[in-house]
Amino acid sequence: MRVTWDIFCSVVDNYGDIGVTWRLARQLAAEHGVTVRLWLDDLGALVRLCPQADRHAAQQWRQGVEVRQWPLPWQPVQSADVVIEAFACELPAAYVAAMAARPQKVLWLNLEYLSAEDWVEGCHGLPSLQSNGLQKFFFFPGFTAGSGGLLRERDLLDQRRAFQADPLARTAFLQGLGVAPIAEARLVSLFAYENRALASWLEVLAADTRVTQLLVPEGRIVADLQAWLGCAALVAGDRQRRGQLHVEVLPFVEQDQYDRLLWSCDFNAVRGEDSFVRAQWAGRPLLWHIYGQEEDAHWDKLEAFLALYTQGLSPAASAALEGLWRAWNAGDAMGARWQALLQVWPELAEHAERWCLQRASQADLAEALVEFYQNWL
Amino acid sequence: MKTAQEMKPNSVALIDGQPWLIQKAEFTKSGRNSAIVKMKLRNLLTGSSTETVYKADDKLEPVILDRVAVTYSYYSEPNYVFMDDEFNQYELNKDDLESVMPFIVDGMTDICEAVFFEGKVVSVDLPTTIVRQITYTEGSARGDTSGKVMKTARLSNGTEVKVADFCNIDDWIEIDTRTGEYKSRAKAPV
Repeated sequence: MRVTWDIFCSVVDNYGDIGVTWRLARQLAAEHGVTVRLWLDDLGALVRLCPQADRHAAQQWRQGVEVRQWPLPWQPVQSADVVIEAFACELPAAYVAAMAARPQKVLWLNLEYLSAEDWVEGCHGLPSLQSNGLQKFFFFPGFTAGSGGLLRERDLLDQRRAFQADPLARTAFLQGLGVAPIAEARLVSLFAYENRALASWLEVLAADTRVTQLLVPEGRIVADLQAWLGCAALVAGDRQRRGQLHVEVLPFVEQDQYDRLLWSCDFNAVRGEDSFVRAQWAGRPLLWHIYGQEEDAHWDKLEAFLALYTQGLSPAASAALEGLWRAWNAGDAMGARWQALLQVWPELAEHAERWCLQRASQADLAEALVEFYQNWL
Repeated sequence: MKTAQEMKPNSVALIDGQPWLIQKAEFTKSGRNSAIVKMKLRNLLTGSSTETVYKADDKLEPVILDRVAVTYSYYSEPNYVFMDDEFNQYELNKDDLESVMPFIVDGMTDICEAVFFEGKVVSVDLPTTIVRQITYTEGSARGDTSGKVMKTARLSNGTEVKVADFCNIDDWIEIDTRTGEYKSRAKAPV
């Protein structure tokens, strides 16, 4: 009998929760031979990542995963062997009762948010004592060996290396998105929340001596881009030029295509959780726009990651990277920060690859979850 | 019911029929404005300890425990014997007293509280502030009088506490039993 997994995802906003759970579900099914049901309360969000999905189907099979509409009210089903509530979503009470009533014991996991803060290792894998006899644990993704690791498919880095070593593949991929690579241009991808710092970054790119080709998948940052360009609503396929800056708006692409976009670019601006992790696997310098939290709690998380990521960098490179990231997240002027970053570019490029390989030496998140289940048994 | 965030150290939650004393509770923001609470719990029936995590808004069932004023009387291996004002004796072992063990000393006169669950004594709480005597500490290194420079001092039962640099051997000090930290120098108890 194949082990069954249920993953519950309540889509709050954006594509972080659906991005992580959809990727995890596919990987568990493809690489670990388990049966996965993904329960979603917003199938529309999935359709953006998987255009073949039907936003109205109560049940459908996509890429090895059984996708289920999370029904309201809940309809009784048998619980799985392993149950994941993603990002602290609340499981239906009737489903929890079904877990408790099941003759075979159930492993219940709360898959938490990604953070580089110290406390993560102290909380990862701890039980959460329940009053219904169920065994529940908190599982924290993370960057260190004491955490649950990061989502990374088994052959991801091999695919990435092969792609990056093949200029024709890169060109063909970009052309498939409607992008004509400009010779000698710096290729930058931009995926971010609204950000008032954008204008100052675009100014310095436009005034640069080197051409920058800025690829912007449709998303929340596009309104700021329009405002700076002073143009009407931008849609996928639109191109604009200001000085040395060439801006191209891309369609919102599937996860595998987005990976290739990151692999194609020299520098990637990313946001939230899923694209942030994928940019690290690209092995290229990156800029992270973190999800803003109440009471500025996100700054602790940003600084914790910077403290970890900059280990091994020279003081100059470390200061340049930190300066740019802080300015971007504070909405401050980016011009001087970007210039400082360009001064240490070769070191940051080498470091990005080294960081990627170091993280890849640890178990990935799906593997760690499966191992946790096996140890629990 | 209370949320995990509302449950404070030294309160007790009933989980799966077992009373768990919350010895420590740390609140942390996890992601996207949600939060978790990491707790150190001690089972008041078995004495076992565990660490656990809850979402900040997870519901827990608080338990109000009976309490009786007692004083420490004597040690009769393996138990520590406490007595109330009607001379009833209550025996607890080292595990039952884990959180207060560093401050149990012979001759202590603190008015403590014996804690009961379903008629059985399960632990003892000390007052928030207690006074203890330093039996050993190094001399003041720099003659600091601000109280900001700290050094290690030993109590009669071997417990070590960080105290102000100006404290000396035989001095009496106030200790906060919730944190185990030195508060100030004190007068000798009468």
